[in-house]
Amino acid sequence: MPARIPEFSLLEKHGIRLIPYGIAKSEKEAARIAKRLGYPVALKIVSSEISHKTDYGAVKVGLKNEERMLAAYDDIMESVRGHRTSGMLVQKMARKGLEILIGGKKDPQFGHMVVLGLGGVYVEVFRDISARICPIRKEDVREMVMELRSNPLITGVRGIRPIDIASLEELMVRVCRIMVEEDIEEMDLNPVVFDERGYDIVDVRIRRGV
Amino acid sequence: MRRDVRNLNHVFEPDSIAVIGGSPATGKLGHVVLKNIMDASFQGKVYPVNPKYREVLGLRCYPDVHSIPGKVDLAVFAIPAEHIPSVMEQCGRKGVKGAIVLSAGFGEIGRKDLDEKLSKAVKKYGIAMIGPNCLGALDPSKRLDTLFFPFYKLGRPRIGEISFATQSGAVGSCIVDMAAHFGVGFAKFASYGNALTIDDADLVEYFGSDPRTRQIILYLEGTKDGRKLFEVMKKVGKKKPVIVLKAGKTAGASQAAMSHTGNIAGNYTAYQAAFRQSRVIEANSLAELFHVVNAFSQPLPKGRRVAVLTDGGGLGVLSADAIEAEGLQLAQLSSETEKVIREVLPQYGKVGNPIDLIADSGPEEYRKALDALLADPNVDSIIVIVLFQAPALDSSILDIVISASDQRKKPIFAVAVGGDYTAESRKVWDRYGIPSYDSPDFAVRALKKFTEYSLLSQKKK
Repeated sequence: MPARIPEFSLLEKHGIRLIPYGIAKSEKEAARIAKRLGYPVALKIVSSEISHKTDYGAVKVGLKNEERMLAAYDDIMESVRGHRTSGMLVQKMARKGLEILIGGKKDPQFGHMVVLGLGGVYVEVFRDISARICPIRKEDVREMVMELRSNPLITGVRGIRPIDIASLEELMVRVCRIMVEEDIEEMDLNPVVFDERGYDIVDVRIRRGV
Repeated sequence: MRRDVRNLNHVFEPDSIAVIGGSPATGKLGHVVLKNIMDASFQGKVYPVNPKYREVLGLRCYPDVHSIPGKVDLAVFAIPAEHIPSVMEQCGRKGVKGAIVLSAGFGEIGRKDLDEKLSKAVKKYGIAMIGPNCLGALDPSKRLDTLFFPFYKLGRPRIGEISFATQSGAVGSCIVDMAAHFGVGFAKFASYGNALTIDDADLVEYFGSDPRTRQIILYLEGTKDGRKLFEVMKKVGKKKPVIVLKAGKTAGASQAAMSHTGNIAGNYTAYQAAFRQSRVIEANSLAELFHVVNAFSQPLPKGRRVAVLTDGGGLGVLSADAIEAEGLQLAQLSSETEKVIREVLPQYGKVGNPIDLIADSGPEEYRKALDALLADPNVDSIIVIVLFQAPALDSSILDIVISASDQRKKPIFAVAVGGDYTAESRKVWDRYGIPSYDSPDFAVRALKKFTEYSLLSQKKK
């Protein structure tokens, strides 16, 4: 029985494609998965105990070959010693592109809503977000994009190609549906890396209602 | 529409009013409200109800509601909270369909028991109840006025087409007073207080179906049922412009958020989303509320292209800056317009936008330029700036702008910055339904919201 990441499984159940990954229980298995995905890869500890994995040194990215990957594996296991873990996530490295945050939240007055913003640090520094109450249609996503002050980065500006907006629209509509159908309290897809051909969902956080 | 919401007709347009607690004692709420109802020249029957008196303010006073000989549409309550549920029950049996409970002392001080009893009585008879703990209602066309603020301190708006619901009595009364001052007319006003049964959404829904209401204002701090408000706003927003002033924007971001989304998207984010999705226009301050409300006297613009006409270069530049900042566009004038301007100002070299008529232009130059802009297919809206201080202009410029606006071809926003003379002149425009502003950026911001509303309604029709 392979280990699972419940957040990933939930998205997959609703037909959302994640960046290719596998969960390894050993170094040997990690090497096998990495070879299948193709280098470079990222490693991330799977543990419900550790929430800020980066702060813990439990995330290593851009591992170019097996040697570096195995070294990173050891480093991570060392830094999470004493915590309960359930495996090592081996992920294909995300494409280069625009980091976007897609979020969902259940508001006490209005119910489920979705949020769109630039990912990474931008979203917290500039608070440049657009939100809609669920359900939404693709037209709403187009409006949300235009509402962002940073919209030229999405729709294209000098030297920057527009991202694949059609797939963003579809993803947002699906996220909205999941929020409602699964009665989710809070959700982050952050970052989702977009380029002109599509996207890679790198990380997911979900809090279910009690 | 719920039965009690339909019955709001009995609150706003009653033929007869019972004032529960009507009193000759000048300090009492029951005295002030009764006096105001009479001073407003309410045309129907007024019945003070108070077992202590036979006569109040020259009217026959009744010991209870049942003793009133004719029918009663609206009961206004100005008695202590404890007694209200049982009197409401009597009103229900009498066939009263509208109620305003001015008195406080309910849920807001923890008396949930009184809330329960009162809403039970109200629901049993389908009574439309405003309150408790509120200012009540106005309907200038029916001369209905249950506000308990003296007339010499708080002005009452003239008859108009705007209906306004407010959660706060204090902010509500200030807006009513300001509307009276600025000559903004009201169809209906309600301060809904604790919103025990009739709430924000119910009033918006009712105003939405009220034939005399063409524009709706809502002052909101928080709503109990956002979904309900959202659904009503979506429905009404398609028919009539709804302008909301939302207070309490900073509070409410989730303290225990585990996600980025939870951290950055607070409760106000949800309100904003709901407003956008339902085409509700959000004003960001009391001043902006009026700036936007006044805009709606103009026809809707078809696009974002703005022409600026001015006799003061600097004010034109300030407008152009604001147009750029707000995401509107300076119109590229047609060659016909350029030709007219060159005829008006032969000394001119290049004609640009803003069109600077320079300070020695008179009213006639404005008239020709305005006519050209109204006919220019490249222009969606017009900001006309007038320097009343300039010696070449006399007060006939007021009339020229009014005549241009009367053609109802394109929205015209007037800007005049200055002191007493300017302010007095702008008042004339106000009365004629020309939105006028004492700073170019105010005009541009209001025009931006007006334009966005217009484009959104064109798109979603």
